[in-house]
Amino acid sequence: MATVELRGLCRTFGSVVALDHLDLEVHSGEFVSLLGPSGCGKTTALRIIAGFEWPDSGEVLVEGQDVLGQAANKRNMGMVFQAYSLFPNLTAQQNVEFGLRVRKESREKRARRARELLELVGLASAMDRYPRQLSGGQQQRVALARSLAIEPRVLLLDEPLSALDAKVRVQLRAEVRRIQLELGITTLYVTHDQEEALSISDRVAVMSQGRIEQLGTPAQIYRSPRTAFVANFVGTMNKLEGTVVSLEDRVVRCGPLLLQVPDPTFNHPAGEKVELFLRPEDISIGLLSNGDKPAPGLFEGRVTSLTFLGPVTRVGLETEIGPLMADVSSAVALGLTADTVVAVKLDSTSLRSIAR
Amino acid sequence: MAQVTAVAEARPSSHRIRRARNRVPVWHVIWLVIAALVFLVPIYSVVQFSLAGVGPGQSPFHWYLTVFDDPMFRSSFWLSIQISLETVAVSLVLMVPTVFWVHLRLPGLRPVMDLISILPFVVPPIVLVVGLLPFLKNITWLFVRPEVLSLIYVVFALPFLYRALDAGLRAIDLRTLVEAAESLGAKMPRTLLQVILPNLRAAIIGGSLLTVAIAMGEYTVASLLEFSTFPVYTYTIGTSTAYEGVALSFISFIFVWAAMLALYLLGRGGRSAAAVAITNYN
Amino acid sequence: MALAESGMQPVGLAGRAPRKRSRSRRWALLGVLPFFAYISIFLLIPTGELIAGAFRTANGAFTLSNISDIFRAPYPQAFEFSLELSALSALMGGVLGFLVANAVLHHGVPRFIRPAFVSFSGMAANFAGVPLGFAYIATLGTLGVVTTLLQHLGLDIYPSFSLQGLFGCALVYMYFQLPLMILLMIPVIEGLRKEWRESASNLGASSLEFWRYIGLPVVTPSLLGLMVLLFGNAFSAYATAETLGVSNLVTIDIANLINGDITLDPQDAYALTLAMIVIIVITIIVYALLQRRASRWLR
Repeated sequence: MATVELRGLCRTFGSVVALDHLDLEVHSGEFVSLLGPSGCGKTTALRIIAGFEWPDSGEVLVEGQDVLGQAANKRNMGMVFQAYSLFPNLTAQQNVEFGLRVRKESREKRARRARELLELVGLASAMDRYPRQLSGGQQQRVALARSLAIEPRVLLLDEPLSALDAKVRVQLRAEVRRIQLELGITTLYVTHDQEEALSISDRVAVMSQGRIEQLGTPAQIYRSPRTAFVANFVGTMNKLEGTVVSLEDRVVRCGPLLLQVPDPTFNHPAGEKVELFLRPEDISIGLLSNGDKPAPGLFEGRVTSLTFLGPVTRVGLETEIGPLMADVSSAVALGLTADTVVAVKLDSTSLRSIAR
Repeated sequence: MAQVTAVAEARPSSHRIRRARNRVPVWHVIWLVIAALVFLVPIYSVVQFSLAGVGPGQSPFHWYLTVFDDPMFRSSFWLSIQISLETVAVSLVLMVPTVFWVHLRLPGLRPVMDLISILPFVVPPIVLVVGLLPFLKNITWLFVRPEVLSLIYVVFALPFLYRALDAGLRAIDLRTLVEAAESLGAKMPRTLLQVILPNLRAAIIGGSLLTVAIAMGEYTVASLLEFSTFPVYTYTIGTSTAYEGVALSFISFIFVWAAMLALYLLGRGGRSAAAVAITNYN
Repeated sequence: MALAESGMQPVGLAGRAPRKRSRSRRWALLGVLPFFAYISIFLLIPTGELIAGAFRTANGAFTLSNISDIFRAPYPQAFEFSLELSALSALMGGVLGFLVANAVLHHGVPRFIRPAFVSFSGMAANFAGVPLGFAYIATLGTLGVVTTLLQHLGLDIYPSFSLQGLFGCALVYMYFQLPLMILLMIPVIEGLRKEWRESASNLGASSLEFWRYIGLPVVTPSLLGLMVLLFGNAFSAYATAETLGVSNLVTIDIANLINGDITLDPQDAYALTLAMIVIIVITIIVYALLQRRASRWLR
């Protein structure tokens, strides 16, 4: 299977910098997501790999060979677009067979392969239907089957699920991953949906303004964001502002509290202002009986909002270290109303900071 | 060693990138050039031809001067202008309230209007004039007045004016505007004049320009009804002296160019409607 | 037909509402009366007159002799020539217009090309008629600029070429057929989604293969429909051909029958125009059917 390497890709559209010296290495059989807000360059990067755009400078190597000199139709990659990519005048089967037809494969071979792939995506029954007779989700499955028919060395997906309903999206993304694992095909997946990226990727590249902010496994991205952008973009983060008390002990004063940062690579000198990050699920709440003060190590907070999210309720809190959001099991949150005073506990082992 | 080869590889790659990006297939260029030739060669020939054939001692603009000196030139041009303006006036008075009314009160009639707006294509000028001639011959007082041409041209301009007005009305929220005006106490005629018309200005001007272009260039009916409009004059002069005909041709071209420029400056999608305009009437 | 909303139904007076609604609608219809009256006088009645007149003698008696006259010389030849001319100019304009529209929309082409071609097409289409005839006399006439140029290069196009001949006249018609096709074809080609082309390319197809398997099949109904439109357009033309001196065209024959330059025979003119209407109506029906087919894939 193929490795994909991007070296120093740069692309500017007029005055907008779409790609800023992008470097990325995708290992054989790996599923890497390019995650970021619109305009971050992720789609541009994908289209450059596919051959629909060219960079101003930089290299794209597939299996060690430069592909930028090749036309898009010679690169042997599979691509799934966001929508509308199925040929309207061909049935599902004919769509899937298209790549093989261009390669002059025999009719039997084409039909066999088309059936095989449509079964793989669960649409063997829709072989003779036209795209306009298929739902959005079904169309994307056919598009996936079509791109795999030519046995590409790399699979590229450009926000393939963005145009679909939420439920279909969750279903399909699992299937995409399942198929990818079964075939072991090197895959690059572009999305702006972080839940999607985190749930199905081997590694995630979080992008912003043409650059990769952080490349890592989903767990790494989520638990150890390395820049403020990543921290804010992926999941919800509580931001605590404080001043460093001691670099050696990694102690930061936030409001009246002294917090210790667990990360041994903490490198902000004493006196410097820093931001600390904490996920809502790392904050817990305890009910206080009237008049009680919180136990040592905990502090007071007043409930300002309650947002029911299903299994979890997001509680907005006003505390002496600033506003916080805590994710609490909905069963516990039942007892809360606005203005309730609660005890707040931070899981300080989950405190993150951004390196200098 | 590895570093050196890396640098050496980098340069050819960027060359290839630049070449790949700017590649336009040869065929496309060929078709564009052919089309450009089809459009421009006749115009160039017109200019060349109209400046040719002059005797020694004569100005290269001899034919233009001859034509400008001809009183028939002025009178026919003026006649065409008059007829055009009359056509625009009648068309607008007829069409604007009608299309407005249909949009507001009779939306069910829209398919009928759409169908009617196609009819002038089924009944081209030559056919229409055949049908009208016996009918008009009996109305001698109208038959000899050039105003009859205006009345007929209204029919030719109908599809384009209708389409322009229809599009213009669809773009504004007619019902809301009218109801707002009514709630403020305005009666229908005033609403139409002071509220709707200003919003339709672009559609009206665009449609009117197309109407003028049609009326100024129409030959078939004018010649068969024996009026000396500008195209008829051009034909008469041109068939006897080709050079003058070609000079007049150039003058027409400038006029069309100016009208299209005006239409373009208006900006709205009048461009493609304009193209469809005259072709059917020649 | 949908009932008009007059907005003045009193609530709860269900018994009276229907009558009031139809009455207000009748008043509303009055508003479009001037328009329909005008259309009747200047379009519908003359059309009816000439259809009826095709079956009447000069004295008003019923006859089929006018119709049978159409089949006597020189009219069949005139029809043949008109139809051939229309078909040829539609084909030439249609094919070249398609190729040019496609070229104009190509992504690698300089930005100014599209507005330049669109505006010039708008102008060229309006140049038809008498001025166009003289323009081509100046270009390819016996003393034309291009004719002379070709003679200097050793190529004498006369006498085999003639502006009044089939090819010559079709070439002149190109001047308004080509821009019309370009303008109408551009939105059709834009309707070919970028994703289709890119998918095809991604799957290994060359540009030609894309057109062969996807592009042309999807675009062909529109393409044919527009060519049919061009056909009707050319068939109805009169002034341009008259200026060029073409003699055996249906429209020109009709004109001659009316203005009495050769013979005065309005009855035959009626019959000929009736035949023209029939042909044009067929053209429009075919066009409408093809457009309906086209919209299946392009929306």
